[in-house]
This record gives sequence, structure tokens and C-alpha cells, in this order.
Amino acid sequence: MYKNDLTPEESFKIIGKAISNFKTNYKESAKIFLLWGWILTLACFAQFFILKILQSKEAYEQIGLFSIGNWVVLILIGFIIQTLIVRKINKQKKMYSYLEGYIKSLWMIAVVSIFVAFIISIKLEIAPLPIIFLIAGMGTTTTGLLIRFKPLAIGGLTFFIFSIATTFVSSEYLNLLAGAAIICGHLIPGYLLKSAKE
Amino acid sequence: MYKELDPLLHSQLRLAIVSMLVISKRVEFTYIKEQTKAASGNISIQIKKLHEAGYVEVEKTFKNNYPKTMLSITDKGVKAFEDYVNDLKKYISPK
Repeated sequence: MYKNDLTPEESFKIIGKAISNFKTNYKESAKIFLLWGWILTLACFAQFFILKILQSKEAYEQIGLFSIGNWVVLILIGFIIQTLIVRKINKQKKMYSYLEGYIKSLWMIAVVSIFVAFIISIKLEIAPLPIIFLIAGMGTTTTGLLIRFKPLAIGGLTFFIFSIATTFVSSEYLNLLAGAAIICGHLIPGYLLKSAKE
Repeated sequence: MYKELDPLLHSQLRLAIVSMLVISKRVEFTYIKEQTKAASGNISIQIKKLHEAGYVEVEKTFKNNYPKTMLSITDKGVKAFEDYVNDLKKYISPK
């Protein structure tokens, strides 16, 4: 039964209870982290093997075409699956928090920044990975801190370490390093978030 | 001198509803029902009072052919909630 004559203490208790019960189910976000974790890891390892195979066959003129094909196809698949996942999540959604909006904006800006970083690095003829890892690290660490999930914040920090590490690795093994970075930064925290208690 | 608490917010169910809305962008009616465990009719009456006072906005749509009611708090509602909490604080630690 609900009453209307409340003491100030009771009022504060009601406010506190309403706020503490109001939790967004961030386990849903794990699906997106896992999706991109797998897509990008696969793309990195595929890229490593494409380079290895084509270089061994001395088919250097085909490297560009196969590399672009690998990334474009996998990223397109990623976006299609993401659209389906988001549509399913929104169907079951009963409340929209401000925080979710902030995280969405953060990642939209991160994706644009990665795209711009990619264009700049082509123009300057430098490896894009250190900058891309920095942007991914910022996005992942900030998301981890916002949803208060330590493994994701730590995963995000590993991107910063990998960003520095890329400068010490020969270009031949950059894609393997990138795959390892995504496993540490997205896949492991993604699985931990998926299995975390609410 | 104590200020009189806003009677619209000084009610268990209405206060619980407004507290939920203050920290969210939009909330579905069924979520409020799940959280408060109150009867639909009772929640509807309280939301109507809050809506008439201009504290909440009500948006009625359809989801999979079923009616869906989304609620959000207005600026007036946020201000009223802030004032209510500030007035409550004076009751607890009068200075």
C-alpha cells in the first residue's frame, strides 16, 4: 500500500531506492564489444595471412586489392550484424538512460576520428595503428569508467600500451599485434561483461 | 521556518516515479510498474496528476501492435524535484 504522509527520512529512502534500483543492463553492450572484437581480430589475422601468402607468391600488385577487400567486407558484415543486434535490443528496451546516450555519442565520434586518422596516415604515409589504438583506448577506457566496469577500463588501457608497442614491431607483424590488442582490449573484457553479475 | 513540501511529490508512489524519471531520459510505463509493484490503475492516476501539473510528459505509441506509454520528466518537473529535495534537507538538518 502506498501512503502519502511521509517523513523526510522516508522520502529520502524512496528516492535512494528508486535510484539504486535503476540500473541499465550493460550486459547488452557486451554483444557489441564481442561482435567488433571478433570482426576486427579476424580482419587483422586475415590481413596477416593475405600479406604472407601474396608476398611469398610475389603477387605484390594484388596486395592492395585483397587488403581493402578483407577490411571492407568484414566491416560491412559487422555493421549489418550490429544493426540487427541493436534492433533486437531496442525491441525489448523499457528505459533509456542518459548514460547510454553519452556512450553512443562517444563511439560515433570515435568511429569518425578513426576514419579521419586513417585518411591522414595514408596522406602522411605513416602507419595508422598507433593513432587508431589511441582512439580505441580512449573510447574503451571511458566506456569502462562510465559503466563502472573495471575490466573494460583496464582493457581500454591496454590499447595505450599496444599503441606504443606498434612503434617497436616490424610492419610484417603489425597485424598480429593489432589482433592481440583487440583480444585484450575488446574480446576479454567483452566476455567478462557478458558473464558479469547484474 | 519550514517550507511546506510540494504535495504533488510528497507521496510515496509519485515520488518513486519522479525519482526514476529524473535519472533517465525516457521510461516505459511497464518498467515503472515492475519497479514500484503498484497496480496499473494507481500508477495511471499518479501519472495523470504529474502530467496535469506539467511535471512529466506522456507519449503514447505502439510497439508490435501493442500500446506503449513512454514517460519523461519536464524541466518544470526537474526544478520541482530539486526544490523538494532541498526542502527535505532543511527538515533533516535545519540551519
